[in-house]
Amino acid sequence: MRRLRRISAVKPNAQDFAEAAERHLDDVHAFLVYLTGDRNVAEELTAETFARALERWRRYDPRRGSARTWLCQMARSTALDHFRSEDRRRRREGRYALDVPETGESVFGEGLSPELERALSRLSAAEREVLALRVLLELDGESAARVLGISASACSTRLSRALQKLEQEVSAGVAA
Amino acid sequence: MSPLELVDDRFEKLAEELRAARPVVPEPLRERVRALSPPPPPRFELSLRRLAPAAGLAGLAAVAGVAVVLGVVHGSSLQHPAKRATGAPSAVEHGTAKATGERKNPTARVQSLRSYGDALAPSSVRLQRYDAFLRVRVRNQNELSSRTREALRLTRKLDGYLVWARYAAPRRTGDSELVLRIPVENVQAAIAGFSSYGTLVQQRIVLKDLQERVDSLTSRIGRLRREIARIEQRLAGPLTPDQRAFLKQRLREDRQRVAALTAQKSSSVRRARLASVALTIVVGAEPAAAKGRFRRTLDDAGSVLVRELEIVLYALLVAGPLLVLGGAAILTGRSVRRRADRRLLERT
Repeated sequence: MRRLRRISAVKPNAQDFAEAAERHLDDVHAFLVYLTGDRNVAEELTAETFARALERWRRYDPRRGSARTWLCQMARSTALDHFRSEDRRRRREGRYALDVPETGESVFGEGLSPELERALSRLSAAEREVLALRVLLELDGESAARVLGISASACSTRLSRALQKLEQEVSAGVAA
Repeated sequence: MSPLELVDDRFEKLAEELRAARPVVPEPLRERVRALSPPPPPRFELSLRRLAPAAGLAGLAAVAGVAVVLGVVHGSSLQHPAKRATGAPSAVEHGTAKATGERKNPTARVQSLRSYGDALAPSSVRLQRYDAFLRVRVRNQNELSSRTREALRLTRKLDGYLVWARYAAPRRTGDSELVLRIPVENVQAAIAGFSSYGTLVQQRIVLKDLQERVDSLTSRIGRLRREIARIEQRLAGPLTPDQRAFLKQRLREDRQRVAALTAQKSSSVRRARLASVALTIVVGAEPAAAKGRFRRTLDDAGSVLVRELEIVLYALLVAGPLLVLGGAAILTGRSVRRRADRRLLERT
């Protein structure tokens, strides 16, 4: 019996995946919204992330980290693939600036002040992703660093700089 | 404790606002994710993480298997070197004067002395050069002395004689070397006698056919003699002084050649009639008892494993720099990709 439990812990099944998806869907979606700065793209990437995760669920090893960290890593990888293909497309089309959605809707969440919304949109994806992981998802430094593929101290430095920039942008927005 | 407290308390209000306005998953997306169905499980998934230990175990099993099989085959098919040394002759060669050691017929190595002597009996119809080299171990200096004297007595008894001798017995060790000439018809008896003086640790016999050489010399001598008779007949007739002088010169040369060839022939025949026996008697302890089959198998398997280890180490030495370069290339590639991703995210 103990042996069976150990095997099931090492080889998660589809039922485990359904539970993990239900539990962490909000986190992955929020992370991708911050990373992409575009709700529609984030929705597409969220669906794609979970489709990929389901395919690779057999390879997930709980001993190497939580399901949330693993799903966030996969979301980041999916988003990077998207950014790369978008970058190539823009290069082909001779456009170097990213399109910022001008829909007037709130991208980063309902109820955010316009200054904060604008400030977030002025941050880079690299800055927003660390904010999402550490502030929104409240991941600890080590887990966030693992998702970003950097050291914990580098992650802390990035977070500090991102917050400072966000605050500056908010202050600048209020003053304007 | 909030994660931000580690950075700065002044950002806490900002963080609270962000958390309060956290993006919400639209219901269609939630349904879409719920509707995801798992792909059919692959029949056989080749993952490096699983394959590496399996390949490692298979490699170890193959290495151990080869060592065990070779150990069993060698342990059962060959006698131990110590046993070979205490047994019969260690090398048999004939038909050539070039000694080639123990590489010849392996079955001849373990023949008994008797059958060995029978097999190498000198030919009764052809002239042969017969050289024997024997090494016999005795227990102490007294035996060394008595056996050396016995060897000389036996040689004389068999109508042979001593060509060269050396005897040295410092402290508790010692050895004697005798080079003997013994008529070929008695050489087998001599070898059998010498071998019984102690433990025969080495025996080598070299046979070389001399018949062809003697036949060739006989033929050349006959031709020269016929030529001499012809010249003598011409000299008896009428000749000019120059012709007579020329023929006399040739007659002298031919007679000298006949004398030289006859001496060579006599030497070869004499050499064929007397065998040369080099006997070395040494004082030494008995070798360790021959190991059992299981022990031999273990020893052989161990030596095969050591050899395999050497090969693996050699391969690692050769492939090591390439592996290091490959690893460095992979790490560099990852680093470059991470930087590119970082730049991409910073300008997005």
